Amino acid sequence: MKKVSVSFTLNGEPVTIEVPTTWNLLKVLRECFELNGAKEGCGVGECGCCTVIVDGDAVNSCIYPIPEIEGRSVLSVEGISGTDGGLHPLQKAFLENNAVQCGFCTSGMIMSAKALLDKNPEPTEDEIRTGISGNFCRCTGYVQIVEAIEMAAKNKEGNF
Amino acid sequence: MIDYEYKIPADLHEVFTLLKEYGEKATLVAGGTDVMVKIRNTRKAPEVLISLRRLEDLRYIRKNGGYRIGGLTTHRMLELSNLVRTELSALHDAASQVGSVQVRNVATLGGNICNAAPSADTAAPLLVLDATVVLEGPGGRRRVPIAEFFKGTYRTVKEPDEVLIEFDIPEKMGAFGSAYWKHSRRKAMELPLIGIAVSVKLSEANEIEDSRIALTVAAPTPIRAYLAEDFLRGKPFTDQVLKEAGEIASSSECCTLRTSLRCEAWYREDMIKIFVPRMAKLAAERIKSR
Amino acid sequence: MSEYLYVGKSTPRTIETDKVTGRAVYISDLRRPGMLFGKILYSRYAHAKIKSIDTSKAEKLQGVRAVLTGRDIPEVRVGFLKDQTVLKKDVVRQFRDEVAAVAATSPEIAEEALGLIEVEYEELPAVFDPIEAMKEDAPLVHEIDARGRPVRSNILPLPWKFSAGDIEQGRKDSAYIAKDNVRTTWVNQCCMGTSGCVAEFDMNNNLTLYSQTNVPFLGKQRIVEYLRNIGLKGSRVRVVNPIVGGSFGTKLDTDIYEFIAVQLALRTRKPVKILFTREEEFRALPPRQPAIFEIEQGCDKEGKLTFRKVEAILDNGAYTSWGATTPSVMMMPISSLYRVPNVSFNATCVYTNNIYCQAMRGYGNPQATFAVETSMDSLAEEAGIDPAELRLINCNKPGELTPMRLKITTCPLDRCIKTVQEKINWKEKRGKRNGRGIGMASLIHVAGGARVYKSDGHGIMVKVDQNGNVDVLESGTDQGQGSPTVISQMVAEALGFRPEDVSITLGDTALCLWDAGTHASRHTFMAGNAAIRACDKAKKQILEMAVEHMPEIVEYKLKRKERKDPDFQMPDLDYSLISEPDKLDIKDRYIFPKNQPEHPYFRMEVSEVLTRGLHVGTGESKVVVGEAFYDPPTEMLDREMKGNYSCTYAFGTTAVEVEVDRETGEVKILNLFAAHDVGRAMNPTLVKGQIYGAAYMGVGYGLTEQLQLRNGRVMNPNFRDYKMLTAKDVVPVVPLVIEEPDADGPFGAKGIGEPGLVPTAPAIANAIYDAIGVRITDLPITAEKVLVALKKKAGEQS
Repeated sequence: MKKVSVSFTLNGEPVTIEVPTTWNLLKVLRECFELNGAKEGCGVGECGCCTVIVDGDAVNSCIYPIPEIEGRSVLSVEGISGTDGGLHPLQKAFLENNAVQCGFCTSGMIMSAKALLDKNPEPTEDEIRTGISGNFCRCTGYVQIVEAIEMAAKNKEGNF
Repeated sequence: MIDYEYKIPADLHEVFTLLKEYGEKATLVAGGTDVMVKIRNTRKAPEVLISLRRLEDLRYIRKNGGYRIGGLTTHRMLELSNLVRTELSALHDAASQVGSVQVRNVATLGGNICNAAPSADTAAPLLVLDATVVLEGPGGRRRVPIAEFFKGTYRTVKEPDEVLIEFDIPEKMGAFGSAYWKHSRRKAMELPLIGIAVSVKLSEANEIEDSRIALTVAAPTPIRAYLAEDFLRGKPFTDQVLKEAGEIASSSECCTLRTSLRCEAWYREDMIKIFVPRMAKLAAERIKSR
Repeated sequence: MSEYLYVGKSTPRTIETDKVTGRAVYISDLRRPGMLFGKILYSRYAHAKIKSIDTSKAEKLQGVRAVLTGRDIPEVRVGFLKDQTVLKKDVVRQFRDEVAAVAATSPEIAEEALGLIEVEYEELPAVFDPIEAMKEDAPLVHEIDARGRPVRSNILPLPWKFSAGDIEQGRKDSAYIAKDNVRTTWVNQCCMGTSGCVAEFDMNNNLTLYSQTNVPFLGKQRIVEYLRNIGLKGSRVRVVNPIVGGSFGTKLDTDIYEFIAVQLALRTRKPVKILFTREEEFRALPPRQPAIFEIEQGCDKEGKLTFRKVEAILDNGAYTSWGATTPSVMMMPISSLYRVPNVSFNATCVYTNNIYCQAMRGYGNPQATFAVETSMDSLAEEAGIDPAELRLINCNKPGELTPMRLKITTCPLDRCIKTVQEKINWKEKRGKRNGRGIGMASLIHVAGGARVYKSDGHGIMVKVDQNGNVDVLESGTDQGQGSPTVISQMVAEALGFRPEDVSITLGDTALCLWDAGTHASRHTFMAGNAAIRACDKAKKQILEMAVEHMPEIVEYKLKRKERKDPDFQMPDLDYSLISEPDKLDIKDRYIFPKNQPEHPYFRMEVSEVLTRGLHVGTGESKVVVGEAFYDPPTEMLDREMKGNYSCTYAFGTTAVEVEVDRETGEVKILNLFAAHDVGRAMNPTLVKGQIYGAAYMGVGYGLTEQLQLRNGRVMNPNFRDYKMLTAKDVVPVVPLVIEEPDADGPFGAKGIGEPGLVPTAPAIANAIYDAIGVRITDLPITAEKVLVALKKKAGEQS
C-alpha cells in the first residue's frame, strides 16, 4: 500500500497527514479528522453530498485524489461558523427556512451555497439553482433551500 | 485492492520525463472526473497516475486574431468567460452544462476531449468551430484537426506519451454564430441523449455562406454532418432549407444512431431533425446581435 | 389572533442545529470500538440453483474476520410471508439475492473478499412479467411455501378482494362508462443517506441494533423472534436510531441486511456495520410497488358516479415485503375518493424473478390514485362534463361513511378543488388543446393514524427538571420531516413552557414507550395527542406542587424585601387565589393564578416552583413525570377489507398547468397548485416543506423516474441514469394550506407527510391530455411516450 504525506490548510489550520495514496479527500476528512459533515452519497461525484471548498471552489471530495490537496486550502462545513462559535448566516437561514429536513445533503449544499455567495454575493434565483445544481436533495424539493440562500445573501454579516 | 502511485509534476518537461519512465504503466489525469470515477466503478487502476493539475500555464483563454484555449482550462472557466460566451457560443453552451458546478470546477476541456466519449458535450462545439488540437510529445508538437482527432469510442490519435496542450480556433470562426443543444431529461447532472451543434455564417442577403453541423451520441465518435453542411452552403436561410438539412443530418448517411438503455434510435433521429434547425436559428440570432 | 402561543408558528429548526454544523451522527458516521465492516455478495443470476460456494480464499484474506453463506447459519424464514431466508442456500430467485456475507476490518478488504468467493450456479428458467408468471406453464419462483407445502402457482395467497354494493346494478344505472388501462412502474426512494445499520452483541447475547428503522418497536420484535429462532432465547434487543438520512418508506420492513449484520456481529463478537453503496441502494433496495390496473367507472346523466371497478396485477418480485400489502391502502382511494356507491377491487400479487418491493411514500395510494383520477377525467370526457365539475358533483362530504366504512369527519375537499381551480384560472385556460393544458387530481389519505396492526398506539414520556427544562422520550422516529421541532412546539403549548425548553429523544426502544411506527403520515397526529395527555398529567403534578410550595416562596420573598427595605409594607395577599391546582395555570414558562394572571407576587417562573418542589427531602421528594399511550378509536380492516382504520382523513387537490413541446414530447410544468387539508398547520413552514418535497417527488414519479429492469437486472443503478430531479429542474409549486381544525387531531392537526405526493402524477397526466389531446396512462410520461401518442393520434386522424 503506497502512502503519501500531504500538508494543507484545513478550516484555517495547517495540517499534515500520511495516508494511502489512493484515498480521496472525503475519506481523509472523515477518518483522519473526524469531520463527518461531508458525506458519501454516491462515491462517484454524482450527488454533491461530499462537497467541500478547495481554494475557493466547490468540489466533490469523493473523487478528489488526496495527493492533489498538497499546499491547498480546504474549507468544510465545520469551519464556517464564526470564531465566537456563532452560526454562519447560511447555517442560520437553513434552520429558519426549513432548508434542512433529513440533513444528509445539507453539509454539501451549504458549501456549494457558500462557494457561490463568496464569488457572487447577490445571485439571481437561476444563479443559485445553477450553484446547487450538483447537490441532490430528496426531501425539500429545493424551494426552501433556494429561499434560504437568498435570505443568507441579504443578511450577511461582514465577509463570507 | 486498488493501489497506485500518484505523481504531481510541476511542468510539462517533468510530465514527459515521467511518461518516459513509466510508459504503459501510467495514465494521465487532469480533473479526475473521468479517471477517478472509472477507477471507482471498475475497481481497477493503472500503476501510476500522472497528474496535470499543477500545469497552470496550460489554463488560459486568449484571443489574438484566432482563439487559443489551454488544454487544462476548466469548464467553469469557459462558463464564466464573456469571450467564450459571445464569440464561441456553442462552446459556452456545452461547457456550462457539463455535470455540475463541482465537476466543472475541476474537469478540463482537454480531459473531456481526450476521454473521447461519444457523448462528450464539448466535442460538438469544437467540431463546428474548426478547432485544431495541439499535441506535444517528446518528439515535439503536432497539430490535428478535431475532426481527425477521434479514432473510435474512447479512442483518439493522441499517443500515450503526448499531452493535449491547446485548442486553436481560427480567427474566421469569430464571424460565425454558433449554438449547442444538449438534449437531456434533466437540466443538470446529465449526459446528452443527443448533442447537436451548429455554426453558421450568413451573407447580407441572408444566405448561408458557410455552416458546420456536429453531432454527439450519433456515432461511435463525435461527428460532423458533412452532407447536411454541403446542402446548406449557398442556400437561403429559411425554415424549409433548415428542415431539410436536419433530415439529411439525421439520416444514415450522416450518422449511425443506436438504441441504448438511455434512448431509442428513432427519438435521437427525431431530435436531430428538430434541433439542427433550432440551433441554426439560434446561431444566426447570435451572430446578428453581435 | 391565534389562541395558541407556539403551535401554528413557523418555529425554526434550532433543535436540529447539529445538521447544519456537521455534528449530526448518521449511520455512516457512527463508529463503535472495534467495529468491523460487512459486505454482501449478491446473486449473478435472476433464477438459479446454487451448486457450490467456495469461501476458502476469502477467509484467508488478511483482515477478514468472518465469511458466512446459507450453509453457515440456521435456515430461518423471515419477512411478512416468511418466504425468504437471510442468506440463500440452494436457490437464488432474483439478482439481488444475498448469497454470502463478509465482515472485515475495512470496507475495502470486505469488498475484496467478496471477489474471492467462488459460487457455481446452474441457471434456471426465469419469468419477468407478472402476466406471464400467472400462466400455467410459467416457471415457478417458489416451489414450497413457508410451511413446506408445495406451491403450484406464482400467484400469492393474499386475499385482496373488496366489494361494496352491486357493480352490475351500477353499470345499468350508468349513462356513461369509461374504461382505462393504467400502469405504474418501479421507482426508487432515493434517500440521500443510504441503507445501513450497526449490530453489536454483548457477551450475554444481548443485541444493540443501531438501525435507521421507522418502526423500532416492531423491528425489535422481529429481531427478538429471529434470535429465538436461531437459538438465542433469552436475548434482549435494543434498537436505537441514529440521525436518519431520509426514509420515504424504506425503513418500515426489517431488511435482510439487518439480519445479516446481526449474524456477522454474532459470529465475530464485534460491532459490524453494513452500509449500502449508492449502487447497492439502487440494485438491492426494494423499490415502490409497480401496478397494472384495469379500471372501469360509470356515472349517470347528471354526473353522479354509479360504480367503480378496478382489477390490479402487482409484480411481487421474488419475495414479499410491504409492496404486497399496498392493496390495503389502494382500497382507500378506490372505494372512497369521491362518493361512489358500488365498488369492486381485486388485486392479484404475482411472484416473478424481478426485484421485490416495499413501502414508499403513499404506499399504494399514488398508484391507485393515478388509476382513479385518470379514469375520472376519462369519464368526464365521455359524459361531456368539465372534470372539475364532475369531481365537485361527487365530492366527499363531512359526516359520510364510505363503502369501505371510513368515517369522513373534517373534509374540505370541495374547498381544495375550488381553491386550485381559482388559482390556476381553470375556466379560462382549459380546453384550448394548443399545447398548453390544465388538469387536476385529488386525494384521500389516512391522517389520524392507521390501524395496520392490532395496536395503533403511540407512547410518550415527559419529564421536567428543576430548571424548567423538559425531556421528552418520544417513541416515534425522525426521518427528516421535522418532528423534533413540531413536538417541542406541541409540548411547550400543552405544558405551558417554551419550545427551546424542550429536548426530544426519539427512536430508542430502551428509553421510549411504544409506537406502531412513523409511517402513514401519523407522527404529528399520534405524538401530539399523546403529548397533550402526558403533559396534562405533568402539568397537574406541577400545579399540585405549586399549591404546596408557592405560599412559602412568596413569604420568603416578602421577608427578604422587608429586610432590605424598612419602609416596605407587607401586603395583604389573598392566598385563596393559589389554594387549588384548578386555580392556577402555566403559560410561556410562567405560573400564575387564573383570576389574576399579572399578580405581582403570585406570578413567577415555573422553575422557581420546581426548584422548591422537586427533591424536597426525605419521604417528600417528587419528580414530575407525565406519560401517556394514545391509541385512537379506530378499527382494523375486517375480512371484507372494511373498517375505519384511521381517526381522520386528509384530502387535497393538485392542479397543474403544462406546456408540451409537440416536436420533442417534453412536458414543462408552468404552474402547480397543491391545496392540502391539514386540519391545522402546526408549523406552516414545515408543512410547506412537506408539500414542496412531496410534490417534487410526485413530478419525478409522473415524468422522469423509473428503475429500468431488463430480465430482472437493474440497468440504471446510479444518479446519472436514474432521473431524480435537480435544483435546475424548476417546478413552480405553490402550496395552499387549507385549515379546518380536526376535533380528533392534536390542536386540530392532521397528517401531511404523504398526501403531497399522491395526486401529482395524475394531475400532470390530465393536464397533458388537455394540452394535446392524448391520454398517457403509463408512468413515467417520458418525451418518447408523448411523441408516440401524438404520432398515433395523427395517424388515426389521417
